[in-house]
Amino acid sequence: MDDDYFSIDAILAENQKFQCTFKQEIPDMGHLGGGSERDIRAQSKRQIPIWLAYTIIYSDWADFDIPTAFGLKVRNALKAETRSVRLSNLVGAGGSWYGFGKTTMDILNDEQAKVLSEMLTTTFKGRLIEVIDQAQHFAALGPVGASGNTGDFSQAFREGLDATERDLFTLAQESSKRMRRWHEETERSKR
Amino acid sequence: MSLPPSLRTSATPTELELIASQQLIEIIPLIAMEKTAFISGAYGPLRPPHRAKVPIWMAVNLKLKKKCHIMAPYWLNTEFLQARLNEETTESGFSRLPFRFSEVSKVLLDVAPDDIPDADKLRYILKDLREARQAKSREGLANLDRGEFSLPNFCSMEINEVRPFFIRSMAILQQLYREPGET
Repeated sequence: MDDDYFSIDAILAENQKFQCTFKQEIPDMGHLGGGSERDIRAQSKRQIPIWLAYTIIYSDWADFDIPTAFGLKVRNALKAETRSVRLSNLVGAGGSWYGFGKTTMDILNDEQAKVLSEMLTTTFKGRLIEVIDQAQHFAALGPVGASGNTGDFSQAFREGLDATERDLFTLAQESSKRMRRWHEETERSKR
Repeated sequence: MSLPPSLRTSATPTELELIASQQLIEIIPLIAMEKTAFISGAYGPLRPPHRAKVPIWMAVNLKLKKKCHIMAPYWLNTEFLQARLNEETTESGFSRLPFRFSEVSKVLLDVAPDDIPDADKLRYILKDLREARQAKSREGLANLDRGEFSLPNFCSMEINEVRPFFIRSMAILQQLYREPGET
C-alpha cells in the first residue's frame, strides 16, 4: 500500500475501478469500458481501472466520482458502528479497502482527501483493537478448530476484514501463539 | 532475508531467553571447579559452600545435574512482586520491573522451584502481572498514532510480543495520513 513502484500491496490495491465520466469524445477507445461500442461519447460513464484512471483524470479527459466504497452510506455506517461494517464486501474478496482509499486519496484535492483520510484513520483505529483481540483469542485455541461459542459477531467481523487487517490479524496471532508455546514449554520437555 | 515472514518481524521468545540467560546469578555450588575460561568470560572458581556468581545458563546446567543450588535474584520473591502487582493494578503507567524479568523468572521457576521460596505463589503473581500489563498495552493500542509511541517500563518479552503488529499498524496509519498541501 505504499508508493513503492514494486510494492505488491500497492499493485493489488490498485485492482479496483473508478467510475469516470468522460468529458470529451474519444474515438476508437470504446473497448476500455469493456463494452462493444467503438467510440466513447462525451458525458458517457465507464468503469476504468485505477492505474489507467490516474492518467485520464490528470489529463483532464474525465471526471470521476468518489467510489461507493467511500460514499455517504458507508461513512454513516462506519460512524454508527465501526466494527460492524464488512470491509471485504466493499472491495471484493482479497481486496484492500484501505489501499483503495489511499490510491483514491492521492487523486483527490486537499479538502476531499482530508475527509477521506480521516475516515480511513478513524475506521482503522476503531477496528484495530477488535482485530488484535480476536487474534490473541484465536492463538489460544488448539488445532481442533474454532470453538462454537465465539459468537456470530466475531465470525462476521473476521469475514469482513480487508486484506490489510487480515495481515495484522495473522501477525498478532503468530506472535501470541509463540508466546503461549514458550510459556508452556519446560526444561524437562527439552532435555 | 530468507526467514519465513513470521520470524522477520521480531525475535522468538527462545532467543530472548538465551540473551537473558547471560545475566549473572548467585549460586551455591555443590562441586568444586577451578576458574574456567568460557567464550563469554572466565567464571569460578567454585568452592562449596561459598557462593559464586555465574551466568544463568551455567547455573541451569549445573542445577540440572544437581550440582548447585540457585539463589533467587533480589526481585524474585512474593513481597517485591506483590507490591509491583498492586502498583500495576492501581496506577495507570507500567510499574518498574527488571527488563528481562519474564525470561529469567520462567527459567528459574522451571529448573529450580525447590530453591525459590513460594514458587507456586510466584507463578500466580507473575501471571497476574503479565495479564495486567497486557491489558494496559491493549488500551495503549487504542491511542496508537502514526507518530512516535512510547511505553515506559515495558519489558523485553512484552515489547517483543507487540512489536510486529504495533509497527505494522503505525506504518499503515502513516500511509493513510494525508499531509495537507500535497497534490
